[in-house]
Amino acid sequence: MGSPLKKIMLCSSEKEIFSVEEQVMVQHSVIINNMIEDGSYNYEESKIPLDCVDSKTLKKVIDYCTYHTHHHNDNQEDLEAWDAQFLNVDSNGLYDLLMAANYLEIRNLLDLIYRTIKNMIKGKKIDEIRRILNIKDHGFTPEEEEQNRKEYPHFY
Amino acid sequence: MRVPIRHLARLKCVSKLWYSLISDPDFAELHFHHSPVATNACFFIENEAMVYFIYLDDNDASQKVMSPPFKKKPSHFAVLGSCRGFILSYRDPHFLVVWNLLTGFSKRISYSHIVARLKYYVVRLPYKFHLYGFGYDASQDDYLVVVAWQDKDDHYHLDYLSLRTNSWINLDAALSNLLGSYNWNPPGLFFNGTIHWVPSVLEAYRDVILIFDLKERTFSTLSAPEQPVKSACSYSILAVLGGCLGLYYRNYDSRKTEIWVMKEYKVHSTWTLYQIPCEVFQPVCFYSHGDIIGRVEPMLCIQRVSCHSLATLRTRTRRIRGRKTVCKLFSYAL
Repeated sequence: MGSPLKKIMLCSSEKEIFSVEEQVMVQHSVIINNMIEDGSYNYEESKIPLDCVDSKTLKKVIDYCTYHTHHHNDNQEDLEAWDAQFLNVDSNGLYDLLMAANYLEIRNLLDLIYRTIKNMIKGKKIDEIRRILNIKDHGFTPEEEEQNRKEYPHFY
Repeated sequence: MRVPIRHLARLKCVSKLWYSLISDPDFAELHFHHSPVATNACFFIENEAMVYFIYLDDNDASQKVMSPPFKKKPSHFAVLGSCRGFILSYRDPHFLVVWNLLTGFSKRISYSHIVARLKYYVVRLPYKFHLYGFGYDASQDDYLVVVAWQDKDDHYHLDYLSLRTNSWINLDAALSNLLGSYNWNPPGLFFNGTIHWVPSVLEAYRDVILIFDLKERTFSTLSAPEQPVKSACSYSILAVLGGCLGLYYRNYDSRKTEIWVMKEYKVHSTWTLYQIPCEVFQPVCFYSHGDIIGRVEPMLCIQRVSCHSLATLRTRTRRIRGRKTVCKLFSYAL
């Protein structure tokens, strides 16, 4: 665990540098925690390159980690309300966040996104799920698709 | 995050990629590991034809009705063991079937080379002189089917099949001399990396639970609880209850179901008795807060019993979601 005042540098895909309290990222991101722990991060020179995370998404990820570090004692309801507001983004934004949280291994953010996606598709018909998740090519042959529709008519 | 099993079929239809992911054996493995408590799922077989797979959550239960993976309905179908979402079942004539209830995967295993040499040729296998077991050997990441049997010359044999190599291996050297001493209840219970069997009638208690260690491939024994009146009890059945080894039977005198749970594995003094005021009660799940969920036969309904308040009952019926409502969940409370 790093000291609370130390800062680390994160570099987005647009090469924009974000300076974040070390503890905030160490607490949430498994890979950053590992980097700091094994000493591969140099506080004077290192910038952690996150080539697959754009600035907009990285800023959101940092917001999430910062808020949850400083408000972890808040009551559950308040946190959930904040999370809901935080994830009020379009599906592309949600996808970018998912990829970033996956890359950085931020487990509670991943769980939050999974739950959100689950609620989006819960109880929906197959065609709606495809539309919501932007699945254009489902990959089934027309025969297979027909077979599925016959076997599970109530899903469609 | 675990998706309840009843949604998997729907998700399989979303795209070919999802279909492949969900159908992958590794998915079943992962799904199993992510299940909060492995013991809160159970299944019942009705009319040898339908399997009710039931997931119990804290206050709810969901069910999935499935047909066994046979084209033609067998005249006899029995479950001989289960482990990590798989069940080992028997179907005539002389096939064992390993079936994964989570993914639908099934594999037919022939053991006709054993059947041909059996002492008692009965149409309705499993016969009482046999032990069947199905379990997972974590050290080899392999599933094993274990069969102990008696040949025409009264010799006992032990064979096992490794699902990984798909071959039968003889292991007579490991046989236990207990095999001929009791009439065993053939289906084995997988628990703690080992398979357990118990005699149908508990005439004695010392060293009567037979254990086969899947890693060491050796037998050992365990003592059953010291019981009161043996003659007044039905045959005993083993179960995993609340993460512990359990054993239950009907007591005809008291008209109760007696459930023993070994709170600490292999510590004899920790056998604890629960008495359920119901003659035919099949315990399914023990909750940490003391409630017991079980099935009351002959109805296909699930009953919840609170240990602290067995005498009084205020029933709250809860219908279980599903196409056909065949299960009810009762709450017993003071």
